[in-house]
Amino acid sequence: MTVTVEKARTAEKPPTRHANRAGRPHAAWALPGVLFFTFFAVVPMALALYLSFTTWDGLGDPRPVGLDNWKKLLDDPRMTQSLGLTVVLTVASWAFQTVIALLLGVWAAGRQRNRAILSAIFFVPFLLSSTAISILFYALLDPNFGIIQRDTLGSQSGAFLAIVFVGGWQFIPFHTLIYQGGARQIPEVLYQAAAIDGAGRYRQFFSITLPQLRHTITTSTVLMVVGSLTYFETVLILTKGGPGTDTAILPYLMYEAGFKTYDFGYASAIASFLVLAATGLSIVLVRLTGFGAMRSTREGM
Amino acid sequence: MSHDTLPRPTRTLQPDGGPAKASPGRRRHWTRRANPVAGLGAFVWLVIVLVPIYAMLSASLTGADKALTGNPLKPPTDPTLDNYNTVLGNGFGHLLSNTAIVAVAVVGIVLTLSVPLAYVAVRTRDRWSNAAFRLFLVGVAIPAQAVVVPLYLLIAKLDLYDTLLAVILPTAAFAMPVSVLVLVGTLRDVSEDLYEAMALDGASPLRVLFQLTIPLAKGGISTVVIYSALQAWNGFLFPLIFTQSDEPRVLTLGLFNYVSQFGVNIPALLASVVLSGIPIFAVYLVARRALVGGLMGVGGK
Amino acid sequence: MESSRGLSTGNAGEAGDAGSSGNPGNSTGDGRSFSRRWFLGAGSASLLTAGLGTGLTACGSGGGAGGDGKTITAFVYGDDAVKVQQAGVDRFNKSAAAKKAGGTVKLTEVPGSDYSPKLRTAMGSPSAPDVFFNWGGGSIKPYEEAGKLVDLTEIIEGDPVLKDGFLPSVLAAGDLGGRHYGIPMRGMQPVILFYNKAVFAEHKLQPPTTWDQLLDNNTKLKKAKITPFALGGTDVWPDLMWLEYLVDRVGGPEVFKRIQDGDAEGWGDPAILRAAELVKELIDDGAFGSKFTSVSYVNGGAPAVFARGKAAMHLMGSWEYSTQLGKFPDFAKKNLGWAAFPTVEGGTGDVRNVVGNPTNYWSINARTKNKDLAVGFLKDCASKAYAQALIDNGDVPTTSNAAALLSSSPNPEYAKFQYDMVQQAPAFTLSWDQALGDGLGTKMHTEIGKLFAGQSSPSEFVTACKGLK
Repeated sequence: MTVTVEKARTAEKPPTRHANRAGRPHAAWALPGVLFFTFFAVVPMALALYLSFTTWDGLGDPRPVGLDNWKKLLDDPRMTQSLGLTVVLTVASWAFQTVIALLLGVWAAGRQRNRAILSAIFFVPFLLSSTAISILFYALLDPNFGIIQRDTLGSQSGAFLAIVFVGGWQFIPFHTLIYQGGARQIPEVLYQAAAIDGAGRYRQFFSITLPQLRHTITTSTVLMVVGSLTYFETVLILTKGGPGTDTAILPYLMYEAGFKTYDFGYASAIASFLVLAATGLSIVLVRLTGFGAMRSTREGM
Repeated sequence: MSHDTLPRPTRTLQPDGGPAKASPGRRRHWTRRANPVAGLGAFVWLVIVLVPIYAMLSASLTGADKALTGNPLKPPTDPTLDNYNTVLGNGFGHLLSNTAIVAVAVVGIVLTLSVPLAYVAVRTRDRWSNAAFRLFLVGVAIPAQAVVVPLYLLIAKLDLYDTLLAVILPTAAFAMPVSVLVLVGTLRDVSEDLYEAMALDGASPLRVLFQLTIPLAKGGISTVVIYSALQAWNGFLFPLIFTQSDEPRVLTLGLFNYVSQFGVNIPALLASVVLSGIPIFAVYLVARRALVGGLMGVGGK
Repeated sequence: MESSRGLSTGNAGEAGDAGSSGNPGNSTGDGRSFSRRWFLGAGSASLLTAGLGTGLTACGSGGGAGGDGKTITAFVYGDDAVKVQQAGVDRFNKSAAAKKAGGTVKLTEVPGSDYSPKLRTAMGSPSAPDVFFNWGGGSIKPYEEAGKLVDLTEIIEGDPVLKDGFLPSVLAAGDLGGRHYGIPMRGMQPVILFYNKAVFAEHKLQPPTTWDQLLDNNTKLKKAKITPFALGGTDVWPDLMWLEYLVDRVGGPEVFKRIQDGDAEGWGDPAILRAAELVKELIDDGAFGSKFTSVSYVNGGAPAVFARGKAAMHLMGSWEYSTQLGKFPDFAKKNLGWAAFPTVEGGTGDVRNVVGNPTNYWSINARTKNKDLAVGFLKDCASKAYAQALIDNGDVPTTSNAAALLSSSPNPEYAKFQYDMVQQAPAFTLSWDQALGDGLGTKMHTEIGKLFAGQSSPSEFVTACKGLK
């Protein structure tokens, strides 16, 4: 969505001096929304940062402890493991979801009736909540009473792949939709030109479709990355971070630190780290994918 | 010529129909051609989507006393609706109505606060409205997980712990950034001339909002409605941490509790998952185009 | 152990009384009403009419320690046994004692798998319960330190009903620093080695009394393609039971006592390493089958595996009997056998030593608006009617009158076994996680989970535990 906005921003005309005040409300109209969001999102975020410098068990009052929690964060082997797991999970989810969603999306952009029908069916998993989907696979994978009576969730690779698969099963429909929308916006004149040059279907895919979809890929990637950083119910329901600590990704580790061991100070340090990571990653992704360059080209028009 | 400099046609995207203005005679050639490899891939994905759904439906119709066979494709021998009765007799209706209340309230709050905000951000464009807009631009990257500890502190201090408001207010706040961005994107497309025409009539900003902006922003608004309803529908972490008793329990948390309540009664557990999907599946059947079109808006057109 | 009993089932009243309970009145008259009004004004007054706002708030459980004292709430661990507490509440609400104290008790059933975190978050909020279920000892220590508990010592001393109503050892087992903070409210919960009589008969086995016999049994069972032991590894606390008994049998109760008293070096005792090695041998030998890390006790997986004869034995708290009675009544009545945990050759622990939970307790929130009502409610736990209800549920109460009631149990033989086991035990070691409290207990769970999942070796386990703080 970042992309949507940037696109819109760059398209805006410079404000005209003579423009009258028609439909120009006072900025105070924005105040209720700003206050509401500040109170429930910005203030808590600042509070999380504050709590990360305290020790607090949830019952008494938070006590300042300086950098203790942050030092612990750097030393904690569980944190290192968790960070690694989170990165691997994010990359694996991204690869799995992007490849399938992109191909399906481009395919579904076609106008054939069978494609429309299949697209409608492909969308169905997204209608279930993530909790429902996690429970569905938890039940199907029960080692003794499920459909696949194996030790899927009890082995490291099994549990990890299950989380990647379940996340993909839920979110691929959504990303397919984004790619479908993106593919349909590619100007057909490009394909006509390519066809005249004798380019085949696969050549067209790699030389036209993929480059033309790069903004869509950015959008979808940002959504996937931020999304998989926050997989939580899937892990809680499927594996509880196990076997052992093999699927305890950052959000789960934070939940455990806060709401299982009641070390809210340490949990807040993990949370603050999560915010920094998510923000940093989004910025890096938008930069890396050459978004800034596109912007300046278009501004020259 | 580089495609970067190609003017992008601004078309309203139809969920299914592609560019609304495409004349039937000039369809793109490439979308029409059959693609057997892609068709095979799509079929494989269809199997991946349908097998878990089928296994779920079939298991939910199996008697609780019968062990599942381990063959997901085998239809149940003695289909029964007992499992559904079990679920419905365990407070399912109450969970559903709570989720409905949360969804309606979240959508209401988000619309009430975001529309004026986006309107100001697009029309007023002074220092303050720009600052407000940037707040939400940055806010997109805040993961809800990261603030759950301090939010718990706030909720407890406000005496909202274990109430539906404790779920509604933070959920609404975290649905706002994307909603504001989507709305800003839509409102920027409203032409300046229309505003000037309204101004000539001497219309107040409020009248302009209701008579011009909102009617012309229907696409964005429906995206926001769907997006925020989906957040409410999917929300798990806030209800998990901020509520505890039966009265304010929402559907996702109820499903989670069924896991320990029904235990290895896999058929009943799966029946609850099926039931949780029915309401939104009904919406999907009735209003697929609106739903899919709205969601496309989240990804950016 | 996290679970007081196994399954959390039967949500009495879940479907009913939505929104009709609660306590809309509490938004006025105290300091918090200001902040709420301010916050609604700033945030959402534009949408939420006053009516809607109040209505939604009233949907919550309201009341609690912030209430008016007419209704007090009691949090209880949600499982099969809740019906005993529910009956107790119903009886008490109609009693003269309740009328005298001018109020009633409302029971809130918290799903078992989540009880501790839910209690903790509620206790940190204004809608905290007035009375709450706990495991005594370490499990209530943070509340005591935060001044959130009513010290019941004087009250118990001054009231013959309470003073003489319970077995003194059980009353004392939940103490903190020699002071009483809880009243026993459920049955005794020693950990017992259960076995499937039909499977044992078929393969001509005897319940093992020594570790070698146990290993010998395992070999025979595995040959017959039967998993020797059911184990709910996802929950981790069932894993813990194995370590608790093995450490006791190898090195005696003093080993854990030292750790419980705060000496983390106690983890370095050779008995801990030996116990971890024995566990590792069992796992590698397939004694728990190959899938136990994804089997849960709480969702009924492990009990079902055991009841259906896929596994021959199950080391579990005494509540296993009522769990099986609820899920597999035929099995519970005909084929469920029980025995003490075997001795380990060369170990110093007495075979009569017991591990587990002495019982569960009710404690009172120091902020309750109606302490008399709460104390009155707790006194009901010493009544004969309450003890009888526990007996009828298959439990063995910890009241002084329990011995006389045992014969009326649905399974007198089992009740007697349990009662004697606890009575004759030279030492009763409290479940390690409960003794250490939630903070340390959870971290210990993590290390135990890694040991059982094969992610750490016995010596790595010992090193990691020494570093817990």
